[in-house]
Amino acid sequence: MKVLMPYFKRYHVDVTVAMLSVIVLVFATLWQPRLLQVVMTAIIKNDQQTVFREGLLLLGLAALGIAGGIINTVYSARVALGVATDLRLDLYAKIQSFAYADVEKFSASNLVVRMTNDINQVQQIVMAGFQQITRIPLLFIGAFVLAIVTMPEQWWVIIVMMAIILLATWIAVRHMTTYFAETQQDIENVNTVTRENLMGIRVVKSFVQETNEINKFSAASDQLTTVTAKIGYWFSILMPIFFLTANLAVGVAVYLVGQNITTHPSYLAAITSFISYLMQILYAVINGGFLMTFASRAFISIGRIDEVLATKPSMTYVTSDDDKPLTGDISFEHVSFTYPGDSQPTLKDVSFQIAAGSMLGIVGATGSGKTTLAQLIARLYDPDSGQIKIGGVDVREIPEKALRSTVAYVLQRSTLFSGTISANLKQVRPDAQLNHMQWAANVAQASEFIERLPQTYDAPVEERSQNFSGGQKQRLAITRGVIANPEILILDDATSALDARSEKLVQEAMDRDLTSTTTVVIAEKIASIIRADQILVLDDGRLSGTGTHRELLQTNAIYQAIYQTQKAREEGEND
Amino acid sequence: MTDLRNAGKYYWHYLKKYWRGFILSSLLIAFSTWCIVIAPTYLGRAVEELTTYLGQWTNPATRAQASLGSFNQTLIVYILLYVGDAVTIFGASLILARVTAYSTGTMRVGLFRKMQRMQVKYFDTHSDGDILARFTSDLDNIFNAMNQALLEVLLAVAQFIGLLIVMFNQNATMAWVTMASTPIALIIAALVMRKAGTAVNQQQDDIGQLNGYINEQITGQKVLITNGLQHDSLRGFRNYNNQVRKSALTGQIWSGILNPLMQGMSLLNTAIVIFFGSWLALNGSLSKGAALALVVVFVNYAQQYYQPIMSLTSLYSMIQLAITGARRIDEVRDQPDEINPTEGGQPDGIHHELMIDNVRFSYAPGKEILHGVTIKVQRGEMVALVGPTGSGKTTVMNLLNRFYDVDSGQITFDGTDIRTFDLKALRQNVGIVLQEPQLFTGTIADNIRYGEPTASMARVIDAAKQANIHDFIESLPDQYATRVSDEQSVFSAGQKQLMSIARTILTNPRLLILDEATSNVDTVTEAKIQAAMDNVIQGRTSFVIAHRLKTILNADKIVVLKDGAIIEQGNHEALLAENGFYAELYRNQMVFE
Ligand SMILES: Nc1ncnc2c1ncn2[C@@H]1O[C@H](COP(=O)(O)OP(=O)(O)O)[C@@H](O)[C@H]1O
Ligand SMILES: Nc1ncnc2c1ncn2[C@@H]1O[C@H](COP(=O)(O)OP(=O)(O)O)[C@@H](O)[C@H]1O
Ligand SMILES: [Mg+2]
Ligand SMILES: [Mg+2]
Repeated sequence: MKVLMPYFKRYHVDVTVAMLSVIVLVFATLWQPRLLQVVMTAIIKNDQQTVFREGLLLLGLAALGIAGGIINTVYSARVALGVATDLRLDLYAKIQSFAYADVEKFSASNLVVRMTNDINQVQQIVMAGFQQITRIPLLFIGAFVLAIVTMPEQWWVIIVMMAIILLATWIAVRHMTTYFAETQQDIENVNTVTRENLMGIRVVKSFVQETNEINKFSAASDQLTTVTAKIGYWFSILMPIFFLTANLAVGVAVYLVGQNITTHPSYLAAITSFISYLMQILYAVINGGFLMTFASRAFISIGRIDEVLATKPSMTYVTSDDDKPLTGDISFEHVSFTYPGDSQPTLKDVSFQIAAGSMLGIVGATGSGKTTLAQLIARLYDPDSGQIKIGGVDVREIPEKALRSTVAYVLQRSTLFSGTISANLKQVRPDAQLNHMQWAANVAQASEFIERLPQTYDAPVEERSQNFSGGQKQRLAITRGVIANPEILILDDATSALDARSEKLVQEAMDRDLTSTTTVVIAEKIASIIRADQILVLDDGRLSGTGTHRELLQTNAIYQAIYQTQKAREEGEND
Repeated sequence: MTDLRNAGKYYWHYLKKYWRGFILSSLLIAFSTWCIVIAPTYLGRAVEELTTYLGQWTNPATRAQASLGSFNQTLIVYILLYVGDAVTIFGASLILARVTAYSTGTMRVGLFRKMQRMQVKYFDTHSDGDILARFTSDLDNIFNAMNQALLEVLLAVAQFIGLLIVMFNQNATMAWVTMASTPIALIIAALVMRKAGTAVNQQQDDIGQLNGYINEQITGQKVLITNGLQHDSLRGFRNYNNQVRKSALTGQIWSGILNPLMQGMSLLNTAIVIFFGSWLALNGSLSKGAALALVVVFVNYAQQYYQPIMSLTSLYSMIQLAITGARRIDEVRDQPDEINPTEGGQPDGIHHELMIDNVRFSYAPGKEILHGVTIKVQRGEMVALVGPTGSGKTTVMNLLNRFYDVDSGQITFDGTDIRTFDLKALRQNVGIVLQEPQLFTGTIADNIRYGEPTASMARVIDAAKQANIHDFIESLPDQYATRVSDEQSVFSAGQKQLMSIARTILTNPRLLILDEATSNVDTVTEAKIQAAMDNVIQGRTSFVIAHRLKTILNADKIVVLKDGAIIEQGNHEALLAENGFYAELYRNQMVFE
């Protein structure tokens, strides 16, 4: 709840209006029976004038009630949506401040549930809360005082009734809290399975695993069903208990009045009003009870949201808005790195240096740590030990903006966002004009297909960029990588889906147009890195050799082995 | 209103099988309503008896006879009636809680089942996050509404009917008067509900879009971080977030004001009864005393008359969310299924030849991708597909196991059009290693035996060995029991491709398709699995797409695809001799000393 306080403060005017309008409502509610009583008496007495006057008053009361109700709804909604929207924004901002490892820790799927379903729980409880929050105590206190005044001896009946109801609510809330926590967890599981099936629908279908996936989903869904059923059962017990308790209280009260009627004959006339006060107390307590149970679901959600909000990003940047790019020199000094949660280091004591404007090639077996090394340059993770410098500055000392404008990283798995091609490009270079886009697309050999699209640069990009072939996606990703003309460009196997000819053209264009850029190229094909000024050969996280193609061909066994597998048949098998 | 009708159909579809539960709970509720209606009369009687007792007691002559016996008895009946009420309501809500939980469970699984039947095209063109919102947001709304509204609806209906009976028994004219404002209330309700319906539809659609945005952005978080786009992403988020705020505010207000409006109507109605009643008392045929007593009674009824309506409208915002939820889920349920012939043939591999016969295909109408592609493959042949990216290689493969269907032309196995085969049987014959590997949450072993969950551990290990990933798996602390998921895998991109290959090897398909299956794998590893792959491919009809031509040198036939048409065809030597597109590709890649 503490988490929400600052948000309520932000909407203190709406909060006040919502609460004040409830007072109007309570006034209308409490006055209406009295007014009716007067009307009835007048009708019996056939006092037309009073009937008419009080009848009109009743209409006025109706208007007041409507006005109060509408104002209350509007302002409660404003508070609820204000709080929910702001909370969601802060949550998203928090997630955007995370290091990649933090996102991995929570998992994308779970973060999405927290941002939508959990926030929605909070929104609903705030809305319901502001419709009830002043009404319940006011009605309760009003009715309680009146009931005690009517029959002072019976105070303990009211207390016992309330005690039972509160006890029942307390027990229920305690049980339901665990169930509500399970519910949110189960919703996450359902979300995870569904999301995976959406992303891997082709795999599911090609392996004809629909039935098994349905079974897997059913298992997750059934857990949710079971928990929600249990919650439902608890609700089923609560309602009858509330009403039975109240009516028992009425019975007991009337019985006691009966036993002592000879000492308090006047109580006979008071029974009816005492009962109606009891009922009003009951309604207040019941509403409060239900609000409590809903609140207990919202508390779970608030806890889950708070868990994200309270997470400190595992990586921080020096605070500075300096976005002046650094020069493109890169140096690794005895760098070792272990992925969070792993026991073995993935990179072991890697050292190398590369001057600005030159080209670095990285080769090595699958899983030898090429991507990992590249990710350290882009500071997706920080090394356990050793030092990485860009432009002579330790990456941990570089302000975020400067780092990002210096290093462009084309990921191994090319990801574009749905929208249009130009929107994707303008994300990294907001001032990009058509000629910039054309220039970048030319370098990446992407203009060839972009310009054949009916809408060229405004062509749509679908979810998962599914409307582009693998190689087109990669070329779009490269276009995005080069458009800002970065000091350092990392291509992580970014041309793997390109045919040799296109790839060669990309290389030639980069040599021609990105002369001052340091390029780090990870590749499987020797042809892709043969011109590199320096090539690193990685072997199980260790640097097995560095040098130019010619040097490595002489000195490095691993490099030779890779080379052997790629030699043309005419040369290698000419015997 | 069409929304309402559709929602009706939707709920009927999922709730009809619980008719026994509904009848039983309706009976229970009828009984409890009876208890509630009767009980106050007992209270009245108890008070009367008490009055009598007091009268007798105060009078010294009758004090000896005075007894609280019958008072106590009446009170016991009163309490028993409420015990009966509590028990029956408990029973009814227990049943309804069960119905609610299990029917939403069925809806959820039903939606997922539907998802599994839908065409690949739908997923290619719709936002994942928006589909997910239907599972997490809309179904949750439906559950909440049913959880609270089902019992209320039944109770309200029972109370309403009970009250109508009681009123018409008393006096038909006054009953009609009491109901006089109903049409106005209905009109107001209809107007408000129409506004609310539109607004809440908009609200949920906006939430779907927001969900889509969040899901896509966080899934691509690596891109955001490495490009320093977090602020940008936040800015985009703000728009969606504010949009939701705006439409949800309208939605909440319209669906929230129905209740106060109906409360006002209730008071208005009371006033009508008072005015008309007093007029009737003056001008009617009844004696004045009787008429006045009648008015008093009916003023009470007028209050009760709106009670059920008010308890329903207080839940209206939830109910509207459930109506909208039904619409959004129906949107998915209305999507076409994959076309599967009834009694489709069961293909049993390829005995003679596979024929891709003058196939034309377009993803979007008017934008043809394949322009009459013809490839003839003999049984056991290995065919390599090469060509620039975007030339349509993956598209051809998408047609072979019918992710999409051809526009014209046909694909045949031994002369039989594959569209006449049972879809699942066809896909069981076709094993495809997709260009983009995808893993599922579970252990490594589960992922390898994905296509055949019952496969023995020995076969899993064998497949992993053939794909050259066994040694790596063994090096992990939990080995084959290591838990992985697509985003949090312990694999590098190349290792993921090897997993994907192992997964396909295990299913031992008749027709094997490798779509750039080793593009992220280093060539040494590739050469190692080549031997294994040669074994797998041996005697099996297969398609191999690869840019590293070394992997396809041994192909029986190489097909060069460019811009959706075949430009060269033949084996390696023949194509080199032709000195065309292929020969240039080959030179570009291979010769470097
Ligand atoms: N996010 C991660 N968490 C844990 N381990 C990882 C992660 N990413 C990669 N690894 C491990 O690190 C090793 C190196 O991976 P990577 O750098 O991607 O290899 P590659 O040389 O193929 O690019 C792999 O064996 C993999 O098991
Ligand atoms: N799902 C899709 N929707 C629309 N267009 C698509 C889709 N998939 C591929 N395309 C287009 O079809 C063409 C062929 O793509 P594809 O078969 O993937 O090429 P590749 O030969 O590289 O495998 C490309 O121009 C691509 O833009
Ligand atoms: Mg890699
Ligand atoms: Mg492809």
